Amino acid sequence: MSSPTCSKTIAYEQFLKKIDQYWQAHCRQMIMIRSIFLFLDRTYVLQNSSIMSIWDMGLDLFRAHIVGHHIVQTRTVDGLLQLIERDRNGEAVDRQLLKSLLRMLSDLQIYQDAFERKFLEATDRLYAAEGQRLMEQRDVPEYLLHVEKRLSEESERFLHYLDQSTKKPVINLVEKQLLEQHVSHILQKGLDQLLHENRIADLTRLYTLFSRVRDGLKEQCAAFATYIKNTGKVIVLNIDTDPEKDKDMVQLLLDFKAKIDNILAVCFTSNEKFINAMKESFEHFINVRQNKPAELIAKYVDSKLRAGNKEATEEELERLLDRIMVLFRFIHGKDVFEAFYKKDLAKRLLVGKSASVDAEKSMLSKLKQECGGGFTQKLEGMFKDMELSKDFMLAFKQHMQNIDAPGGIELTVNILTMGYWPPYPPMEVHLPAEMVKLQDIFQKFYLFKHSGRKLQWQPTLGHCVLKAVFSGGNKELQVSLFQTLCLLLFSEGEEFTFDEIKDHTGIEINELRRTLQSLACGKARVLQKLPKGKDVNDGDKFLFNDEFKHKLFRIKINQIQMKETQEENTSTTERVFHDRQYQVDAAIVRIMKTRKTLSHNLLISELYNQLKFPVKPGDLKKRIESLIDRDYMERDKDNPNQYLYVA
Amino acid sequence: MNQGWTAVATWHWVANDENCGICRMAFDGCCPDCKLPGDDCPLVWGECSHCFHIHCIVKWLNSQQVHQLCPMCRQDWKFKE
Ligand SMILES: [Zn+2]
Ligand SMILES: [Zn+2]
Ligand SMILES: [Zn+2]
Repeated sequence: MSSPTCSKTIAYEQFLKKIDQYWQAHCRQMIMIRSIFLFLDRTYVLQNSSIMSIWDMGLDLFRAHIVGHHIVQTRTVDGLLQLIERDRNGEAVDRQLLKSLLRMLSDLQIYQDAFERKFLEATDRLYAAEGQRLMEQRDVPEYLLHVEKRLSEESERFLHYLDQSTKKPVINLVEKQLLEQHVSHILQKGLDQLLHENRIADLTRLYTLFSRVRDGLKEQCAAFATYIKNTGKVIVLNIDTDPEKDKDMVQLLLDFKAKIDNILAVCFTSNEKFINAMKESFEHFINVRQNKPAELIAKYVDSKLRAGNKEATEEELERLLDRIMVLFRFIHGKDVFEAFYKKDLAKRLLVGKSASVDAEKSMLSKLKQECGGGFTQKLEGMFKDMELSKDFMLAFKQHMQNIDAPGGIELTVNILTMGYWPPYPPMEVHLPAEMVKLQDIFQKFYLFKHSGRKLQWQPTLGHCVLKAVFSGGNKELQVSLFQTLCLLLFSEGEEFTFDEIKDHTGIEINELRRTLQSLACGKARVLQKLPKGKDVNDGDKFLFNDEFKHKLFRIKINQIQMKETQEENTSTTERVFHDRQYQVDAAIVRIMKTRKTLSHNLLISELYNQLKFPVKPGDLKKRIESLIDRDYMERDKDNPNQYLYVA
Repeated sequence: MNQGWTAVATWHWVANDENCGICRMAFDGCCPDCKLPGDDCPLVWGECSHCFHIHCIVKWLNSQQVHQLCPMCRQDWKFKE
């Protein structure tokens, strides 16, 4: 080889071109020589395995004298690496030249030893530095986009000039240096934001890229679970205990669940591990706050099943109920839900406020499916009571035709079985004579048909339809029994004081205040209050409002529900806790009855298996002590950690 | 003028005791074999005026070999009409 080719002054690209020219020329000449000596090559050489073919000998000579030369080889390989680096930097380079020279190295069988090792080292260095630099400089979505671009460029490079055998190690290096090294940093820096902003395309990219590296999805799944827990906790905990915020809790939870479900399906390929992590996270955060989520879910269902909720078609309602059931499934204190659900169901059934019987039945069967028949027995009992009452009223109507009864009022009675329904505090009021008479007729008839029973009237739950005559026209008023008692007074006189109304009706004073407020200070003011004002005070006077006007004929006047709900809620929750104590006692007795003797720890773990609500070990211990005091069981005299059943 | 009145009443057993003398459960609840109180687990009265869950007294009477006695007062048990 002549010296100018080896001179360092000539640019490496020039050098590469020269080498390529020599190589091309060498190949051309070798083909020529082979053609000339074709016969020799095909006969003599073939028969002597120790002699190289003409072509192989040509390659061997080129390798030994040219590319095998230390300086030539170093310059060639370094030149190739520099050219590839420029290609990676986005410069237009002579890819044909690269292809030809790399092909030459392969043909000379020095591709791996002379080139590949150095090339992989350069690749590793490049992407290690790039990963460090870009993780600092770019935000996560940009960074991921870049990684995706790099991976596709590198793959493409193998179509143009690199040898296929190098593809796997190169892609592995890119994945390692751009992704694997930065998995936790990427998640920590960007996952929450992507989830929060619902960046579907970026999340899909993240998932696809992370699925390529070891532990990528495992870490992503863990970070995903943490995000759900933290976000959910904020919704559920309501740190300012702002009741307004609690109102939105269930809707927010449903929206959050829908969003996460969509991300799981669209971005995370419905990966089962992610779905399970989601479920665990929901179950975790929804139970961080006790009772309230269960209560609010029950109330949310009520708001959707109540008449007047026209926002949904039946199918939409059905789908919504299914989504609510998913939240319900996560709740530990299902008995709290039941208590509130029952209270609202009672209102819907008794005030005729249910939007659709089908939807009610559908919800009931969902609950039954989820929690078993024991859970819904009493709720079903309530529906049964309503039907039995309807049948009984048919018999009663027949009976009324045969006796001389006061006319005018059509009485319908819902007869409730104690024990199915929420407990109602007894309350006595003074009914007008004709109502008392009607009530007595019904009671006699009922007790005649059902001996051994007594009836307790529940005035708080009664309601009436009144015909009222105003100067502006007749109206039909749908009112509660308490409102009725107040209004009926005004057919006997013009004006009554608060105290007079209280004495006549016998309604409890706070209840009466609310009742009069609804009639004189609400939207439909059928009474006038003197002096005017929002609140009802002891000295106030009330007059019939003859001037009352309303565009509708049939008017419903809602009873005002005040802070009552707060008290009601507390007592419902207390009742649930009381009930739980009873259930713990029953479970302990049941277990001890079958096992006869049992250690403390085994008893506790059996209890946790059987009880369907959250309970602290300390509380269980208290119940055990109480049962020992009541002689249901005793401590083993020799071993205080062992209990014996007392028959 | 009152035209229609929808009233609500709850019914209870009229029993001379709070609990059933056989199973010791409250009459407002049901016998141990039942799950729901009310029509599904009714009470019955004897001529001696004692009353029990129907399921409890029937079980008791079936367990008696010769005389069918009220478990409370040991008089002959006869269902009150
Ligand atoms: Zn009994
Ligand atoms: Zn029974
Ligand atoms: Zn007796």
